[in-house]
Amino acid sequence: MKKFLAMVLVVMMLFTVACQGKQETPANTDPTPTEAAATPVEKVTIKFAVQADSTDALNQIVAAFNNKSEKYKVEAVVMTNDSGNMHDQLMNSLASKSGEYDVISMDVVWAGEFASAGYLEPLDTLIKDNNWLPTDFNAGSMASGKYKGKNYVLPYFSDLGFLYYRKDIVSADDAKKLEAGEYTWDDLLKMAEAYMGKNGTKYGHVYQSKQYEGLTCNLNEFTANWSNIKGGLETMKKFVASKATPEDILTYTEGETHNAFLNGETVFARNWPYMNGMAASGEYSVKAEQLGYAPLPNGGTVGGWILGMNANSANKEGANEFLAFISGPEGQKINATVGSYMPGFNALLQDKDVLAANALLTNPGFQKALTMTIARPVVPNYSEVSDTIQIKGHEYLSNNGKIDDAAKAISDKLQ
Amino acid sequence: MVNKKAEKLFVTAIVLYLLIIIFPFIWVGLTSLKPESEIWGSEALKIFSNNSTVEHYQELFRGNILNALKNSFIISSITTIYVTLVASCCAYAIARLKFVGKNILLAIILATSMFPQMIVVGPIYNVFVKLGWTNSYFITLPYSMITLPVAIFILVTHFAKVPKEMEESAKVDGASAIRTFIKIILPLALPGIFTAAIITFIGAWNEFLLSLTLNSNSAFHTAPVAISFLRGQFTIFWGQVTAATVIVTIPTLIIVILFQKQIISGLTSGAVKE
Amino acid sequence: MKKILKFFDRHLAYLMITPAIILILLFSVLPILESMKYAFFDFQLNDQKKSGIYLHSNYNMPLSNETFEYIDYYLQIEASTVQKSDTSNYIAQIRENMKQHQQAIKSLLNNQVGIVKADKSDIDAIKDINTNVHDLLNALYAKDDVFYSEEDMLAVASELDTCIINSNYIGFNNFKQILKDPRVIYTLSITLIFTAISVFCELVLGLILALIMNKAMTGRGLIRTVSLIPWAIPTSVAALMWAYLYNGSSGIIAQVFSSMGIINQATDLMLTARGALSAIIAADVWKTTPYMALLLLAGLQVIPNSLYESSSLDGANKLKQFRHITLPLLKPSILVALLFRTLDAFRVFDLIYVLTGGGPGGTTESISIYAYKVMFAQTRFGYGSAMVLIMALAVGIISYAYIKFLDVKLVGE
Repeated sequence: MKKFLAMVLVVMMLFTVACQGKQETPANTDPTPTEAAATPVEKVTIKFAVQADSTDALNQIVAAFNNKSEKYKVEAVVMTNDSGNMHDQLMNSLASKSGEYDVISMDVVWAGEFASAGYLEPLDTLIKDNNWLPTDFNAGSMASGKYKGKNYVLPYFSDLGFLYYRKDIVSADDAKKLEAGEYTWDDLLKMAEAYMGKNGTKYGHVYQSKQYEGLTCNLNEFTANWSNIKGGLETMKKFVASKATPEDILTYTEGETHNAFLNGETVFARNWPYMNGMAASGEYSVKAEQLGYAPLPNGGTVGGWILGMNANSANKEGANEFLAFISGPEGQKINATVGSYMPGFNALLQDKDVLAANALLTNPGFQKALTMTIARPVVPNYSEVSDTIQIKGHEYLSNNGKIDDAAKAISDKLQ
Repeated sequence: MVNKKAEKLFVTAIVLYLLIIIFPFIWVGLTSLKPESEIWGSEALKIFSNNSTVEHYQELFRGNILNALKNSFIISSITTIYVTLVASCCAYAIARLKFVGKNILLAIILATSMFPQMIVVGPIYNVFVKLGWTNSYFITLPYSMITLPVAIFILVTHFAKVPKEMEESAKVDGASAIRTFIKIILPLALPGIFTAAIITFIGAWNEFLLSLTLNSNSAFHTAPVAISFLRGQFTIFWGQVTAATVIVTIPTLIIVILFQKQIISGLTSGAVKE
Repeated sequence: MKKILKFFDRHLAYLMITPAIILILLFSVLPILESMKYAFFDFQLNDQKKSGIYLHSNYNMPLSNETFEYIDYYLQIEASTVQKSDTSNYIAQIRENMKQHQQAIKSLLNNQVGIVKADKSDIDAIKDINTNVHDLLNALYAKDDVFYSEEDMLAVASELDTCIINSNYIGFNNFKQILKDPRVIYTLSITLIFTAISVFCELVLGLILALIMNKAMTGRGLIRTVSLIPWAIPTSVAALMWAYLYNGSSGIIAQVFSSMGIINQATDLMLTARGALSAIIAADVWKTTPYMALLLLAGLQVIPNSLYESSSLDGANKLKQFRHITLPLLKPSILVALLFRTLDAFRVFDLIYVLTGGGPGGTTESISIYAYKVMFAQTRFGYGSAMVLIMALAVGIISYAYIKFLDVKLVGE
């Protein structure tokens, strides 16, 4: 019966194609022209689901691997940079137990969920077979993918939130305090209020507080990793109320943040390392030499992307080989030197080429920030937890809710 | 006197309406000519930038947008053709022929429109993976979920309005039912058919979720999906997004205008107006 | 030939509806039924005990094997770090015990692989084995020695309990829970408000627009073309565009509104619950009025001119004509337009998702955004499917009310 229905479908399809033929060449309707043409006979293709890389690093890593490997060839399937969409797309694919992708890249907060769902292959054997230890890799990335005693991920690139300030505005004394991390949120607000208006700035400080994942990251920092939820929320509210932050700070994401900072509108900004790369491009009115870096008062949230293996992959051996390459010293070095990403393989932090390519890594303020990182919760129901944090936090900050309700709802969810 | 005043008021209202409708689009067009650094901040409210540029358009044409437009056209056209055909047949049967379970059929068609698309994406993806239909134009088949019900309902109302006498006189002349349908009914219902076709076309043109999930290979991206790719991890490339909005809208408009002419000519040649 | 034609004629109705039925069955009804099945299960992907539809109790054999491998792996690590020979002897002994336990489970389930069906006696026996394993490990760590991976070992061993899968059929529990979920009630009411206001505005504006487009007048072509622009922009893109225009600091519309005094300050548009909802409704009306107009226009065009001519001979004015000729004859088209706009508006997703993400503080979250979050972000498919079913029921009641209220017979006879 099913076969019959499929036949009917095919006939209908041909029929529509025939109708179509007058305007379009029939060749266009061939379902898989590229795949059929592009697959070479001898090498097995490993499919790597990954977001687009604005630098050339991904291309170079794939090329280097394909050059080196005798049995396998990697094809990067570029997914949307909208993380929410990518998550749902992966979810659909993994839930159907399909081996469509062999190696997948993930936001650090997805690993707990994917691992507990049984979609990922544990990687401890891979780590052991390459004579590595889990501690050879970035601790934050590895922690985000450790679930029930098994390591499910290896780092792709790591990320952390920290404070950018304008060196040409902030005094040397204050800069010293900032870089050493010896200041509180209240100190930052005072400084922001004192410096705003200088050198054409409009605001003192900007950060992310729209109702989205960025708010969870920022609240993580304001509440000192959820140790003081009520206090953190109140401090954040002080920032919202202050004249030193934009009136619509509650709609700010990373985009608004870097626009304000790079167009010279604000003295301080909380953002990820990528903004440094934008400043270095020289396209904006604020130049790289005006930038200073410091840790956030209670440490910065760990972000970034990690790699895992699809438990239903048909090419586990090849996936193993590629994972070891991309997360190991070879791949991570390309990523750090070509793409200026933070290396996830720790030994590279002392590598001369890496340090030369990435000025941030030698900056004392940034180095201090690297030592003060805080993670978001690693739980299977992370997105449910984060959703509550975002809604309750934003409700309170936008004067639509009470502090006690917000603090209670968040701490209940974190239990 | 009163009439003239009323007419003036009417014309002003129309002009105002047109301005409101078109303003966002014009503004987006103007924004697409600004350099990225002037799209936000104090420069954003200026009408023209001092540094106008077409770099966003150049950047887009270097990327995937033309291929995505082509896919969108192919997919939307196939969908429009087969959905309009299938819907015409089904709607005619519902409006004019007798068969058992007519009301049940109508109820099922309406009921499927009450479920959000997100719940069919998973099961359809599973089937497509099994059949090897992902990354192909087979995606036009599940598009029937979003386009077929509304097309059928529009056409039912239209077929129902075709005067019965014409059909009966054809029958008296000895024409078969199929012949009557093709020669008499279809031409008379042409405005409705073209309306259904436009609505189907734009419905398929705007579809996002199925396209993103089933056709993940960039060679098969449709325009809305390609536009959603115009972003970095933390940033949206607003210059390119606004430029892409213009690029995607203009060809659809041309098609819509062409369809419109058909509606009008269908009307004048029809005998519905007695 | 004649025979064939006759056959066609006799069964014409069934032949003509068959393609539509096949399409609807395959790509709407079956997938919907497949998803709706989940509503009766505690089905959530982020938990291996619940990530399937299980009517019976089962045992997860692959996870079990993996877990025993890991226990052995960690036992080897411990063996290399312990100081006392007594402890290393004990480790050597329990490594053997573990192998026996694993074998015992395997033979209990007849060496089947994959997710294996297990009856109650099997499950009880496996539970005893699990207790045994935990006891052995606890005894190991009770010893006074240097251990390297106690935490990891205990975490891994706890997975043995995850391997036991109980039936996750829960009947109507999801629905009971939904009726008590304040967020469902809230998002449902937001959706209703959004649907009522936007569909009403679209109907009125769309009707006016259709009447204008149907009139012979200069510039009609221009009006038609311009009117269709908003609708031709993909929703996901239009939403982005409005997000830019509404933006508190760089958005032209927010600025214009605040300088006109419609809102206190530019940022209020997206940061107050009322402002954000109004902004969303305005964008939706802008976007879909043309669709409404087109549906109504098609209906207007088939009203015979002769009707108007004869009534003006009788001295009826324009308003009377509209009430007594246009409206009654337009009823079927109005019904179709209202029905499908309501169905669409009730499922509103892209627009709100991009414009506000449900903010500020969840005040503009629609039921389909909540359902989407529950299903795809939180992977609670059971609960989400039940929510979707309730949502479909709600919109079904509205549709029924329309059909009764407008009293239109779509199908003649």
